[in-house]
Amino acid sequence: MPDVFVAGVGMTRVGRRGEPLPELMADAAHAALAEAGLDAPEAIVVATMNPEEFVGDGNFASNVATQMGFADVPTLRVETATSSGAAAFYAGFAQVAAGLRASVLVVGGEKMTHLATPKVSELIGRSIDPYERAYGATMPALAGLVTRALLTRGAITSREIAQVAVKNHANGARNPLAHFQEPVTLEEVLESRMVADPLRLLHCCPISDGAAAVVLTAEPSHVRVAGIGQGTDTLAVRHRRELTSFTATRMAAREAFGMARFGPERVDVAEVHDAFTPFELISLEDLGLFPQGKAGRATLDGDTALDGRLPINTSGGLKARGHPLAATGIAQIVECVWQLTGRAHGRQVPHATRALAHSIGGLATNNWVTLLEARA
Amino acid sequence: MIEMIKASRCPRCEMVVAPPASYCPHHPVLMTPITVPGMGEIVSFTTLHTPPAGFKSPLHLAIVELDGGARFVCHGSDVKGLKVGADVAIEAIDNIYYFSSLGAMDRARLFWRRTGRAGERVNAIARSLAKRMWRSRTIDKSA
Repeated sequence: MPDVFVAGVGMTRVGRRGEPLPELMADAAHAALAEAGLDAPEAIVVATMNPEEFVGDGNFASNVATQMGFADVPTLRVETATSSGAAAFYAGFAQVAAGLRASVLVVGGEKMTHLATPKVSELIGRSIDPYERAYGATMPALAGLVTRALLTRGAITSREIAQVAVKNHANGARNPLAHFQEPVTLEEVLESRMVADPLRLLHCCPISDGAAAVVLTAEPSHVRVAGIGQGTDTLAVRHRRELTSFTATRMAAREAFGMARFGPERVDVAEVHDAFTPFELISLEDLGLFPQGKAGRATLDGDTALDGRLPINTSGGLKARGHPLAATGIAQIVECVWQLTGRAHGRQVPHATRALAHSIGGLATNNWVTLLEARA
Repeated sequence: MIEMIKASRCPRCEMVVAPPASYCPHHPVLMTPITVPGMGEIVSFTTLHTPPAGFKSPLHLAIVELDGGARFVCHGSDVKGLKVGADVAIEAIDNIYYFSSLGAMDRARLFWRRTGRAGERVNAIARSLAKRMWRSRTIDKSA
């Protein structure tokens, strides 16, 4: 299989944005293309989770392509719920790796803040099993069930879960594109409003607008795509034997590391899907970045902080950078590329040569692991 | 009286799911319809303080591992003192399943016998609300 390279990246500031979604996506796309030195890509892959309902527009691949001046470029849209960005990256990678295209623009975005929070929760909740949804299950509700199972098992403590938020907010405060740029204290997290017992408000990522883009090329560039893996699981959470580990992450990690021909011990920096802070701890262990039962303690000890042994979510993660759904998987890769090319200003991890991005779709029904490697 | 819950079993891997499904989630084979007793063990539970439209806050949700093998999602009227691993019975109040102690279920059964069943067309959300409103009324009265 021929190598595939990331030739350019771009993203918008994440947060409450007034611009229409196609405009945000165009901004990210043109930044990535400019960096890649391309006037136009040979093809485009668009990631949006639910523009039909969030912004009321369909046929979104053509919509976005046309509004960024690429009506003549073949474009398709990819969707795997909240991991749509990572899935689109895979689709772009596959086109280049297969030799079908020499360059592909992958652009993801979502716009949600103009809607009331209950409406946004309802729309995101459409990705939950219909029976569980009929009982009022939302993403925070299912995450609450997972979190209680974790705490009951004694695998992690409330302080460890809270520390993930403290760490990621501290990183977000160093990222000018992050939704939240204010640090939070452990006490503030532990005393924040209960959302889905035992999950509190400051354990949860915000509702954000934003867009991110990458350009993939067959022509060598500074960062090579070393491996990609996809993992899946049942739509219904009740059909799983295990609540405190995500099969879809383990499957994706196995595939990605297999393709990369290196193991988790070689990863220098990682962006991990922390839509709910306990998920970061679950994922660190599922990805093999920390041994079973050790991620919580390691987080409290500062091992995953910016100056730790393995910095996690240097961007602030979903928790602080924000979670504009389909933009997220690509924004994670953008942060990884910035780390690998020494451009993560104010939060640069020294000598980072291998980075991992991990994206969860739905309640861990469709997860992705992407491995990137800096070229000497 | 233990309520029987409709479920289905995969002829290939023996996985049991409730409510029943046509296909096994893990195998492309048709499942066999069965019923399992509505009793089991709490796997996890949560209380949702910002439930979606149509549900009253707080909303108690649980995953229960039924004795027949399936894991089941249901509501609860109370989670005070509830622990993971607790044994619970499950009963449908007009097609909405609740985990509960038998004592509370008996009261609920009496209530529903008195008032009669809501029409088939009333949607699940409205039924859930009715049940919850009734419960808070009875709690007020007894207080």
